[in-house]
Amino acid sequence: MISFTLNGLDVSVEEGTTLLEAAKFYGFPIPTLCHMEGLSPYGACRLCVAEVGREPNSKLVTSCTYRVEEGLYARTATARVLRARKMILELLLASCPQSKVIQDLAAAHQIRQQRFKQEYEDCILCGLCVRMCEEQMMGKAIGFRGRGENRNIGTPFDIKSEECRLCGGCIYVCPACQLRCTYTEPDKVICGGCANLSPPCVEKEQFNDMMCYMEPCVACEIKKD
Amino acid sequence: MKKYSSVEEFSSFRQRVLSEREIQPDEPTLVVCTGTGGQASGSNDILRVIKRYIIERSMGEKVKLRVTGCQGFCEMDPFILVEPGHHLYPKLSMKDVPRVVEAAVGGFVDEGLIFQDPKIQKYYHCQKDIPFFNKQTRTILGSNQKLDPIRILNYIEQGGYASLEKVLTKVDPEWIINEVKLSGIRGRGGAGFPTGKKWQLARASRNGNGQKYIVCNCDEGDPGAYMDRSLLEGNPHAIIEGIIIAGIAIGATKGFIYVRSEYPLAIKHTLIALRQAEDIGILGKNILGTNINFNIEIIRGAGAFVCGEETALIKSIEGFMGEPQQRPPYPIEKGIGGRPTCINNVETLANIPVIIKNGGKEYSKIGVPGNTGTKIFSLVGKIKNTGLVEVPLGIKMSEVVYDIGGGSVGKAKIKAVQTGGPSGGCIPASMFDLSVDYDSLAKAGSIMGSGGMIVMDENTCMVDVAKYFMKFLKDESCGKCFTCRKGTQRMYEILEDISKGKGTLKDLDLLEELALVVKDTTMCGLGQSASNPVLSTLRYFRDEFERHIIDKKCDAFVCTELVGAPCHSACPVGTEAWRYIAHIARGEFIEAYATIREANPFPSVCARVCDHQCEERCRLGTSGSDPVAIRALKRFITDRIDPSTYYPIRDNFPSKFSESVAVIGSGPAGLTAAHYLSLKGYNVTVFEAEEEPGGMLFCAIPSYRLPKEIIKKEIESLLDGYITLECNTALGRDITIDQLFDKGYKAVLLALGAHKSRPLGLKNENVKGVFPSIEFLKAFNLKNRELAKGRVGVIGGGNSAIDAARTALRQKEVEGVTIFYRRTREEMPAFLEEIEAADQEGIKIQTLVSPKKIITTSGYFSGLQFIKNELGDTDSSGRRRPVPIEGTEEIIELDTLIVAISEDSGIDSIGPARSSKIEVTDWNTVKVDSKTLQTSRPGVFAAGDVVTGPNTVIEAIAAGKKTAVMIDHYIKGEQLDQQAELDLPHVYIEPLEIEDEKTSEIGRVETPRASVDWRKRNFAEVEVSLSIEEAMCEAKRCLRCDIEFTQPKKIDESLVIAGGN
Repeated sequence: MISFTLNGLDVSVEEGTTLLEAAKFYGFPIPTLCHMEGLSPYGACRLCVAEVGREPNSKLVTSCTYRVEEGLYARTATARVLRARKMILELLLASCPQSKVIQDLAAAHQIRQQRFKQEYEDCILCGLCVRMCEEQMMGKAIGFRGRGENRNIGTPFDIKSEECRLCGGCIYVCPACQLRCTYTEPDKVICGGCANLSPPCVEKEQFNDMMCYMEPCVACEIKKD
Repeated sequence: MKKYSSVEEFSSFRQRVLSEREIQPDEPTLVVCTGTGGQASGSNDILRVIKRYIIERSMGEKVKLRVTGCQGFCEMDPFILVEPGHHLYPKLSMKDVPRVVEAAVGGFVDEGLIFQDPKIQKYYHCQKDIPFFNKQTRTILGSNQKLDPIRILNYIEQGGYASLEKVLTKVDPEWIINEVKLSGIRGRGGAGFPTGKKWQLARASRNGNGQKYIVCNCDEGDPGAYMDRSLLEGNPHAIIEGIIIAGIAIGATKGFIYVRSEYPLAIKHTLIALRQAEDIGILGKNILGTNINFNIEIIRGAGAFVCGEETALIKSIEGFMGEPQQRPPYPIEKGIGGRPTCINNVETLANIPVIIKNGGKEYSKIGVPGNTGTKIFSLVGKIKNTGLVEVPLGIKMSEVVYDIGGGSVGKAKIKAVQTGGPSGGCIPASMFDLSVDYDSLAKAGSIMGSGGMIVMDENTCMVDVAKYFMKFLKDESCGKCFTCRKGTQRMYEILEDISKGKGTLKDLDLLEELALVVKDTTMCGLGQSASNPVLSTLRYFRDEFERHIIDKKCDAFVCTELVGAPCHSACPVGTEAWRYIAHIARGEFIEAYATIREANPFPSVCARVCDHQCEERCRLGTSGSDPVAIRALKRFITDRIDPSTYYPIRDNFPSKFSESVAVIGSGPAGLTAAHYLSLKGYNVTVFEAEEEPGGMLFCAIPSYRLPKEIIKKEIESLLDGYITLECNTALGRDITIDQLFDKGYKAVLLALGAHKSRPLGLKNENVKGVFPSIEFLKAFNLKNRELAKGRVGVIGGGNSAIDAARTALRQKEVEGVTIFYRRTREEMPAFLEEIEAADQEGIKIQTLVSPKKIITTSGYFSGLQFIKNELGDTDSSGRRRPVPIEGTEEIIELDTLIVAISEDSGIDSIGPARSSKIEVTDWNTVKVDSKTLQTSRPGVFAAGDVVTGPNTVIEAIAAGKKTAVMIDHYIKGEQLDQQAELDLPHVYIEPLEIEDEKTSEIGRVETPRASVDWRKRNFAEVEVSLSIEEAMCEAKRCLRCDIEFTQPKKIDESLVIAGGN
């Protein structure tokens, strides 16, 4: 067991626990968009930052990747953390204003303005789908391409991957966006009715019983009737 | 080559090579730099000519040739260095080569080609004496010129592999690490982590079942940095030696050199060196018979900037996409394949053999405590000596920039230095006292980085710099973490808005807030330092950002969307120079006159005495050719078109019901304000102290530059019956400001001019024969009194000094005129053409002297004692300070002395202002709000020289124009300071079809001047007007920068959708 100070409390957790897990366990939930149990920590969305160390030598770290160590002094909601988190949410909101998850998070953090030029992006590149595909589905069908603002998720050369089993895991994990697994053929998508989480990337022929793993999927229900 | 299988065998081989080298005579050797920079400048051609010349004349016995990597003095490429005398022949062309070879063989110096400083006419025979070299400490870089990178024997001759031998003789990793720790060397890649500590941690790491790696990081991607490539190109064996030693120290058996694919020469030389090292037995299994195995592999990077970051570099070596991982774990714990990996910069590793050879303690003596050793910087940008410089850490920035770098290239002063490339920050010129080391740079908001130093001068816009680096980072960010990807993109968007004049002050706060969050929350070094360019430019150059936002001006004339046509935006009164030039080219002279007159009520005056900012900024001039002779064209138009052809547009006609305004002073500022106020419908009264209107135009500018009739005619056309003029009425003597308000004037403008010369502050300054320049010029210009006699001395270097000197020369009893100036000729503030004209007329100009004592004989001035100056340290303005040399006093006999060091308004004219509760400055000028030109008393405005001190005519006119607007706002009760609007070209004038070949052949027209012999004895005008053919031809040279903004957009028919609107 490792004992450390979390938000002023002396706590102890098992070795190897990340700060995010520890904080959640002790009732200090930290918002995150790119983390999921069962997938390797990635540190892409930066929402889960927490302050470790004491001023003036303290620093911000992503709690999802940071494993707690003996004697650590960690705080999850300091002014510095909140300032950074608010700015990140403002940036997210400017890029994906249509996402319900981001809207809710922004509202919860009292974001009342949006000072950047509005964009309508489908993806925040959290990488959950890529990790899901690789680590849980053993698929490695999709991956990152390009860099900087041209970074996107897809298959090599936009050719439909033979590894893909149409499991839909990528859509299942998508935290904020839409259109994860449509490959190069968005028109093949069968539904589009959900507020945020649309559409299952399943080809119509194989989608016999019209079961949808996303609940509730209004479009599919309509189709059943 | 023989493979050596024991350390002793290798040692005796090395000793043999060294002793053979000892007994070799110092033969003449031609050293040619063929680094990438040298090759780009044509050193391969030079090499070919040398070889041919030597072979053709069978001189192979007499002279040797050495082909080396980059030697650092890239500005002078291609050059040949002749050993043993170290004569440097810079910037050679192929035809010069035989002369150099002959000089080398003959053992003499060819002064026609040797390096020289044209400014002080000094020849430097030895490389060491050249200022660029003599302040450097070239521990690492110095080897480059001594060896051919593809010959291992050359390296061994220079003492190479001695350190490796030392290490292998007694294999003791702890000892190596201890030596490196003792040396105090910090990582040269940028962050400055102590190398010894890193090695110790890597050695202690127990991950990965004993397999460890050492990586040499040569992924050098910053714009403007090329020292790592030059080391790898010029001395690959030193790096290899460093890697092997590092490998032994941490217990690694494999090394990687990660180098960019775009460095082909570095890769080639390294591959050759690796093969040679293997052949000789230094690399491979059981090196030199010891039980140490060590291999080095080259990995070619594809050129992503982020791969310089260590975790991304590891990913790249592993064959994955180069994207960083969150640290911890650090690479020294978990690196390539999960095994401990120690990553060092090229330059750090190049230092290792030096440390091992001489001992860590010896090494730590260079530099300052905490920052030991030397660092190589690539000095690039707007600097005279571009190249690689190696200096001890802790050197002053000014020494690097001014002494080694030689200062700025052109006339523009150096403004800042960007250190550390795109992730670094700007250090402003005012902070050049800063010590160059890791800690001081970080404190100043920058970083050492890999060692790029980009020098920027006043023609660099800091908003543009920040924008440029942000674009680079935005494109090079890997995109993994959200704050770096979006943060850089958003910062770029904001900066782009600002550079287009669309920014707001709120954007600046947002930019700063965002930059701080990006710095705080990103994953890797790229993102954490991505904010530096923004934060440091905001910290030191916030005023420049604000000027872009509030005034919509880019003072460096870089941001195209704000500049429009540079000639137009450079003009203080906003004359559309491009427009009248276009009219002249088309032969439409009346339209051309109207364009000039619309913006400037004194076109004929300005056509003669304007300092033509438009020509300084003309794109033709800044792009390498000569600027369009805009002032001569203006002169051409104003000489041909009478002012009466122009009818100004009146908003209102003044009537007895209109409000009235008092203007005190009838110089350019006063009359301009009066004119524009009258056009707005105010009753304006102008009060003038002298008998005639004209102000400083009349008293200070000699008539050979500006004939009196021209001023009179121009003033007459302005005083058009709506303006009342009252001469012989001086403020303080005849009227007071309170009286004016009592009489019903709603606003008062003070435009008194600067009528008093500042004194030298020496004893006996009031004796007969010593005159302040203004008094001297006034006496002649207004009363026709000739005060100068015999031998005349003028002290000063400004326009007023030249005016006084040239006026004195034209007076009857004068024998000769000499100007004395304390700095050098290049630093004289007077217009270049004025200095040239003075030269032509035979006025002597003595520089680097300061007056010390005024000598009198029976109450009359009889001579002056001078002391000679030399140029000392560089001050914050980038000019070197004149420092008196003790014991060089000298007396010069003179009959008249004119003091022209500066002018102000004088206490007697500023007095009445002060008594009316108006604040004045310590320099006897009136204090105004720089935005509104209002004085401390509401309703009282001030403009012209009375505010600025002596200044140009056009600035006075501009101030007059501005006050007219402000007084209008004031009387109407509106807010004075209003939002600036972009003033871009908006009238389209169809350009003429010009045959390209024709225009490019024509150079700038020479301004015709009267012959020297004739003009120097009279006051007739010196400059003459252009002919119609000359003028139209000159006008056709214009590049028409306005077209970009004014040309009607052609609709691309193919894009129009049928039926769409």
